[in-house]
Amino acid sequence: MAKQVLSCTVNGEAVEVLVQPYVTLLDALREDMGLTGPKEGCGTGDCGACTVHVDGKVVASCLMLAMQVRGRKVRTIEGLAAADTTLHPLQDAFVRLGVPQCGFCIPGVLMAAAALLEENPRPSEEEIRYGIAGNLCRCTGYTKMVAAISEAAGTLASQRSAR
Amino acid sequence: MRRFDLVLPNSLEDCLKILAERGAQAKLVAGGTDLLPQMKNGVLKPAVVVDLSGIARVRQVQNGNGLRIGAAVTARELELSPALRGAYLAIAESAAMVGSLQVRNLATVGGNLCNAAPSADMAPPLVALEAQAVIAGPKGERRVPMADFFTGVRQTVLAPNEMLIELVVPPPGAHSGGQYLRHTPRRELDIAVVGVASQLTIADGRCTKARIALASVAPTPVRAIAAERSLEGQAVTPEAIERAAGLAIEAAKPIDDQRGSIEFRKHLVRVLTRRTLTTARERANA
Amino acid sequence: MSTMKTTRDVKGVGVSIPRPDGPEKVTGRVQYVADIQAKGLLHAKLLRSPHAHAKILSIDVTAAKALPGVRAVLTAKDIPHLKKKAPTRAHAVLAIDRVVFMGQPVAAVAADELSIAEEALDLIKVEYQVLAASIDPLKAMLPGAPPVADAGTEADTSEALAHSAVAIAKSEAPAKAVNISQQARLQRGDPAKGFAESDHVLEKTYRVPMVHQGYLEAHAVLAEWDRNGLLTLWASTQGSFNTRSEVADVLGIPENRIRVIPVECGGGFGGKIRALCEPITAVLAQVTKRPVRYVMTRREELQAGMPAPQVIIKLKTGVKRDGTLMALDAETVIDSGAYSGAVLAVSAVFLGSMYKWPSFDVRGFEVLTHKPSVAAYRAPVAPQTIFAIESHMEQIARDLDLDSVEFRMRHLIQEGDPMVNGQPWQSNGAKQVLARIAEHPHWKSRKQWVAAAGKNGKRRGVGLALGGWLGGLQPTGATVRLNPDGTLAVLTGQVDIAGTNISLAQIAASAYGVDTDLVRITTGDTDVAPMTGLSAGSKTIYTVGAAVLQAAEDARRQTFEIAAAELEASIHDLELTDGKITVRGMPDKGITLATIGKKGNLYMSKTPPVLGKANPAFTQQAPGFAAQLARLEVDADTGEVTIQDFVIVQDVGKAINPLGVEGQMQGGAVQSLGIALTEGLMFDDTGRLTNPSLLDYRKLTAADLPNLETIIVEVPAPAGPFGARGVGEPPIIPAPAAIANAIQNATGARLTELPMSPERIALALVNGKH
Repeated sequence: MAKQVLSCTVNGEAVEVLVQPYVTLLDALREDMGLTGPKEGCGTGDCGACTVHVDGKVVASCLMLAMQVRGRKVRTIEGLAAADTTLHPLQDAFVRLGVPQCGFCIPGVLMAAAALLEENPRPSEEEIRYGIAGNLCRCTGYTKMVAAISEAAGTLASQRSAR
Repeated sequence: MRRFDLVLPNSLEDCLKILAERGAQAKLVAGGTDLLPQMKNGVLKPAVVVDLSGIARVRQVQNGNGLRIGAAVTARELELSPALRGAYLAIAESAAMVGSLQVRNLATVGGNLCNAAPSADMAPPLVALEAQAVIAGPKGERRVPMADFFTGVRQTVLAPNEMLIELVVPPPGAHSGGQYLRHTPRRELDIAVVGVASQLTIADGRCTKARIALASVAPTPVRAIAAERSLEGQAVTPEAIERAAGLAIEAAKPIDDQRGSIEFRKHLVRVLTRRTLTTARERANA
Repeated sequence: MSTMKTTRDVKGVGVSIPRPDGPEKVTGRVQYVADIQAKGLLHAKLLRSPHAHAKILSIDVTAAKALPGVRAVLTAKDIPHLKKKAPTRAHAVLAIDRVVFMGQPVAAVAADELSIAEEALDLIKVEYQVLAASIDPLKAMLPGAPPVADAGTEADTSEALAHSAVAIAKSEAPAKAVNISQQARLQRGDPAKGFAESDHVLEKTYRVPMVHQGYLEAHAVLAEWDRNGLLTLWASTQGSFNTRSEVADVLGIPENRIRVIPVECGGGFGGKIRALCEPITAVLAQVTKRPVRYVMTRREELQAGMPAPQVIIKLKTGVKRDGTLMALDAETVIDSGAYSGAVLAVSAVFLGSMYKWPSFDVRGFEVLTHKPSVAAYRAPVAPQTIFAIESHMEQIARDLDLDSVEFRMRHLIQEGDPMVNGQPWQSNGAKQVLARIAEHPHWKSRKQWVAAAGKNGKRRGVGLALGGWLGGLQPTGATVRLNPDGTLAVLTGQVDIAGTNISLAQIAASAYGVDTDLVRITTGDTDVAPMTGLSAGSKTIYTVGAAVLQAAEDARRQTFEIAAAELEASIHDLELTDGKITVRGMPDKGITLATIGKKGNLYMSKTPPVLGKANPAFTQQAPGFAAQLARLEVDADTGEVTIQDFVIVQDVGKAINPLGVEGQMQGGAVQSLGIALTEGLMFDDTGRLTNPSLLDYRKLTAADLPNLETIIVEVPAPAGPFGARGVGEPPIIPAPAAIANAIQNATGARLTELPMSPERIALALVNGKH
């Protein structure tokens, strides 16, 4: 089986990479593009650790074939911070509020939270919980996560009104 | 996953050509949310996988006289679609329940139906709304009523050289309302232990049409015909609803498995039929 | 860059400082084993038995070996010094002639790609002769049941006994019960007489299935040998030294030819305290002379991980009408899977001596079955045991119309009261924790809250429970080094799973006399670090914290001795502030830490480098107690439970880092709630796991939970660093009983089998079972 050329945009940059046709998007990101932020927690779409954005929407990258993102835009945790490496308000809030424990779920949670705030800038607690309900975390119990997402929403709102 | 050949057709015609040649060893992939887990578990080992993401024809939702839903429309698109309001709300409700957000952005209505798990959430509302499956094959297109589309656990009427391309939902008429409810142990990332879709059309205080479809209580989605008949022509009172909820159990032939026992599933059929009929009546009268 | 605050007032202990690895984690830069790239990496896959109990008649690997891209295919005969009778699970690297659980590894493949390795597994042909299997532990205990252990194998109970840290009496085995691998019996007084004099006798059987620890990162290891025959293992482990010892023992290699590097661990909770995949991966790397990586799939984790045991507790109590305790009789059966390893003693302690029973007879049995064997899971056997005793105590209070809290408080142990084995309870905060939760508005207003349930078919209930953990002990070591710029370097071998490193830094900073900012903790691998034990047992802060404290004090003493000599002053006249040691009352007469540090590293200098060291062992446990309260609603028709409020009160001795402590309390509570409501490994009667995916092994999502309120209580532990106790385990203990008590309050139904799924609740109401 020959490799195929995958052309897409990843974290804002045009990418052309050779991939086996039978690999998932998650595996292509991790093994062929060196982006090990998205994790495999289950491989069957039941845990959210592999969450990335495709064309702005959260997806389970373990359930997509790599070639299915041809011509599309992919964003991983490595693309969440600003180009000058300033942490996104979500990342900053997670650090300050002591959210990450083992850290394995965190890239997926942050991508889910980022998409939530882009779609719903002022989510209620319930909306936040449903926004990350596709992301399992075994260490934290979610309470500090919800608080950090809520705080980041406030930060983003004041950044917007400051402009 | 074991290795396979991947084909990327750009049009429906190309896709049908591939199926004509290699359909017996091929699997179609749209969202991959049912296919990939089965391939990873070794349940399915196709030599060829055909990616549908390049085919525009199967991705549209149109609301005219009735609804036309492309087979590759995602659950999330259905969840949010303005076309799926009013009488069609149960379809959006069922789509909103699939897996999680990360799954709903990938999972398609066509995939949900063609995978044909007994628990497929989007099947009961489509059965209750009397949708038709539009199937494309080497000889052109044919239509099959949704209620006849499923032939067994993970089995449909599709031949290896055919594919589902669209769902056509006829307009239910004025004063029609429906709801889909399911029971799951968790609020997200879960699968129906029992699912029920009820659709009622009410005129002059009487039910002119009742359709009740059940998931996860038989090898395929089933209509609760005795329950439907008990309502048609009657006023939809709480007593009539309770009677129908009891009759719905007759259509259920559940098994004991690790998701639920026979006893619990029958109990849930009654409870969810009662609840969906109650809401369907409210929505029909709104 | 985010700014993290530190404080200069208390020098660190007691302050909520975010973990320093936060920025690396939120940017996805932290590396776990599967993220490590290696040149020439091969991927491993294991072929696993489809039968719970079978003889292996033949294995044909010819076709698998011939598949292009396959670099090695191994069976047991390729690993000559595997012990014929595997004493532990780790020793059963590949099955030799018999398999004892479904999922047991039978062959191993290393290939260029994971996909090729999977295809190679398909090509391996194994002939089995299926044998009768022991699946239900109550049947497996009976004479004549299909035997699990190889005849003549000594069950290795050293880990279990050490972990329990409680000496208990052993008793005689019943005749010919081949699958009872451990047993114990503890007695006090005359229970028969006690029961005869009781007004209220309550007997119930409590059942908890096997549950999986649920860490999100599956077991993973990367193995590579160098040309000198030195093996390096990058492992996701809770104990690098333990892994090294086990791999050395299993493969017959000296320990100093193995280096275990503990990579960031994506959750362990006791499931990664034992070697599992390391030996086979090491052998594949040796045979292929390439680095080999093995990552378990989620399916393999659930089918063939090392879960918590199934526990069945038959509990009978006798009490007088006024609530006086008379007698307790309990039989605990712990299903440990195919190899021994359960912690029997814990159950006996908490059944018989959390409350002051004047007479008791407590019998415990560990039983082997043809299922995957257990490791530990956060407070092993305690959640199950407390589920039994706290459900039972609540039921007694209800039946006798006594106040739940007063009844417990009246009989609850305190320091000095005897445990089941006669040893006295150490200082603990059980009463303080119970008192604190009883003051909570949710408890005080429970009757009004329940009565205010809406008319929407939902019933309300409030319930609480108390539980504790004895606190683990393990010897350890630490060093503290003064750098030439006045900063400190602390070295331990302790894997940082619970965020303990920042707390250790706070302890070192406070003990030495500098700000936490100036202290960096390094977690060394087995080549460089002092010996250390498992990151488990709620003992990291209690033991490693104590070692770091002592090492920091040692470093401080050395520093002051050098300063005293330099300043020609008495050591007792010196003080350290803001990085400078001065003579008290003479602020100009001083020397900076940086100067002392530099002097210890200068060519031809006569000043030694400051290197503080400690290598303590411990004898005094520090029990930690937690109480939890739930306010919930039950949909009486579907059995669905909605937790509206949940409170955790925990005695932590001294919260070194409150932010970290809260995180432990909340995380443990959610695992506890999962055991209560949704989790269980479901085996059919052939020993096949029927729910081997995260779809059907249900861990709670954010949408299933409310905010978890945490209340920290501090009853100092006499030997703990700054009074700290371990915090990791207590919070997983009380929830199943608290939830069961709340469900009974809401519906009248007393559930005694976990999980309390909607099905169990709904059918209990339908069938009127109480």
